[in-house]
Amino acid sequence: MPRYQATLLIELKDGILDPQGRAVEGVLRDLGHPVDSVRVGKVLEVVFPAETLLEAEEKAKAMGRLLTNPVMEVFTLEAIKELP
Amino acid sequence: MKWAIVRFPGSNCDEDARFALEKAGIKAAYVWHTETSLKGFDGVFLPGGFSYGDYLRAGALAAKSPVMEEVRRFAREGRLVIGVCNGFQVLTEAGILPGALLANLNLHFTCKEVGVRVERTDLPFTRRYGKGQVLRLPIAHAEGRYYADPKTLEWLEGEGLVVFRYAPLGGEGDYNPNGSLRDIAGIVSEKGNVLGMMPHPERAVDEVLGSTDGLPLFLGLLEEVNA
Repeated sequence: MPRYQATLLIELKDGILDPQGRAVEGVLRDLGHPVDSVRVGKVLEVVFPAETLLEAEEKAKAMGRLLTNPVMEVFTLEAIKELP
Repeated sequence: MKWAIVRFPGSNCDEDARFALEKAGIKAAYVWHTETSLKGFDGVFLPGGFSYGDYLRAGALAAKSPVMEEVRRFAREGRLVIGVCNGFQVLTEAGILPGALLANLNLHFTCKEVGVRVERTDLPFTRRYGKGQVLRLPIAHAEGRYYADPKTLEWLEGEGLVVFRYAPLGGEGDYNPNGSLRDIAGIVSEKGNVLGMMPHPERAVDEVLGSTDGLPLFLGLLEEVNA
């Protein structure tokens, strides 16, 4: 069966204060980078078998839903590709 | 009466929980997180610690453990469940209690004694306390900032489900140690049988620990008559 690699991005929802992002933002500004804001999230790279790209997408989204806490986070399927 | 203390890989307040329960006269036994039955137990205690190293999010991976289905059933059936610290995080991650615990505003792991005001005394967990009583309890967490959306917060307040709130301890300045919304330190389920709290009552049951304010919580459980 073909193998796919999905990249899931998990971020805090808009409006939820991200103190980690604020800390990074402060350091960047102190070092002379005039940034507007920084938010810190997580990237998950998952490799798994699937028959088709469509099936792989569905599986990746199901995993995203499982691993995200909908109270405070949102996930995006950033990329998906078949591995050689 | 016999309580189950669930052990996840990385639990570390399991022995404290047992000490506190037994000090109150309640038998306790450890249950591994892969168990699928809690038969013969009258209550479940989810202890503090760092289940799965707090990877992904605090409590997130533990919330998917096999034993949690049984904990969910316990909760649904109106039986007693307590989650302290990491246990509270597990209960919210499992959707058994509403809301979530975010990183402390100061991003520090905070370990100190705090004041905790008792908001309700009609629950098994709080019947030995006075309403408005301020307890001296330790906290030890990096992710204890209670968060829920405004609608959920209003619902919690309206139903009187906020059981414990951070409160000044002897006239100090800042008393909310993590930025919790509405100073929330502990909440209870709608039926009043599932308690989640960040402060550690089980670490405050003996004079040598600096406070005995946690002991009445455990003594209160004994009076609960179970079917």
